[in-house]
Amino acid sequence: MANLKEIRNRITSVSSTMQITSAMKMVSAAKLKRAQDAITQMKPYAEKLQEILGNLSATLDLSENAYSEVRETKNVLIIGITSNRGLCGGFNNNIFKKVSNLVNEEYKDANPKVLCLGKKIKDLYKKTDNYYINDEVAAVEDIFADLSFENSAVIAESAMNAFVAKEFDKVVVVYNSFINAASQEVKAEQLLPIIPTVNENEQGAGDYIFEPGKSEIVEDLIPKSLKVQLFKGLLDSNASEHGARMTAMHKATDNADDLKRNLTLSYNKARQAAITNEILEIVGGAEALNG
Amino acid sequence: MQLEIITPEMNVFSGEAEAVQFPGLDGSFQVLTNHSAIISALSKGEVKVNLTKAFEGTDGASELIQLDKSDNKVIRIDIKGGVMEMLNNKVIVLAE
Repeated sequence: MANLKEIRNRITSVSSTMQITSAMKMVSAAKLKRAQDAITQMKPYAEKLQEILGNLSATLDLSENAYSEVRETKNVLIIGITSNRGLCGGFNNNIFKKVSNLVNEEYKDANPKVLCLGKKIKDLYKKTDNYYINDEVAAVEDIFADLSFENSAVIAESAMNAFVAKEFDKVVVVYNSFINAASQEVKAEQLLPIIPTVNENEQGAGDYIFEPGKSEIVEDLIPKSLKVQLFKGLLDSNASEHGARMTAMHKATDNADDLKRNLTLSYNKARQAAITNEILEIVGGAEALNG
Repeated sequence: MQLEIITPEMNVFSGEAEAVQFPGLDGSFQVLTNHSAIISALSKGEVKVNLTKAFEGTDGASELIQLDKSDNKVIRIDIKGGVMEMLNNKVIVLAE
């Protein structure tokens, strides 16, 4: 049996680890709340935008614009979204797996480039030939330091320009989509070219006056909806990150608790054994004196 | 009419308005109550709202709302572009 001092030291170290993990869990829970609020805030905007686009597509063919052009896939841009920090379970690894699968398998022959949002994926691709960066994006690459629509719009715009300039023929976003605090799902969404949406409300709203004209509005709206799509990915990833960290830290705290209980048990056993030994020695000594 | 101004990040304003002036792509225009259904793209500029009653302030995003100095029923909101839709006396502005 290990000696008392050793066990005591381990108990102290496990306890302090537990304090850290439970504090991190609390912090993540608070941040998760805020991240979820951000998603809820964006929902009405995204829904309304889709609705207006839906109304327009009832009377206008949306597929005739620069962002819908389907070309042979020779150059692919993959936008990978991870977190800046670790200690969140498989959160980042799932993205790494998906991105490397896209780079090394699916788009192997399509000169895949990876635009890295979040430090973790940047660390992985920074030194490879696949790393992609340009001046516009460089200014806002550390997106999670200030996660705003404006900053994410810069990235979306740069990707759109590169697509229109035929630098890339396809743009894919890989991110963790938020399901609930405990679960997230890795999604690879095609941002460009736009996949034409099937119009559901057939009657549309033909009564609208369109100012200045339908096609101008469409040209104005499509970049917007792309920006919203990327922003949604970022917000989802952000919320997923905190959810994943919360779950990971919760498990860590539970494990530490178990460990501590076992250690306390063996500590008490060792202590009891030491006391018993001492009594035996005293009794033995007394016997010998009386003898 | 009911007016709502939303951005991807927050709800900037919602309330009753008498008239709203927008920076349209082809120049400024104003819609009054009972205007027919319209969808319009907006450019960078200022949305001027004539409220039905004095502005009381909203919680949250009020730093985007500027009060008119001479008239407490008029507020102005700067936008970088967007789109507005009006249907059945309900105006929704998707601003940036």
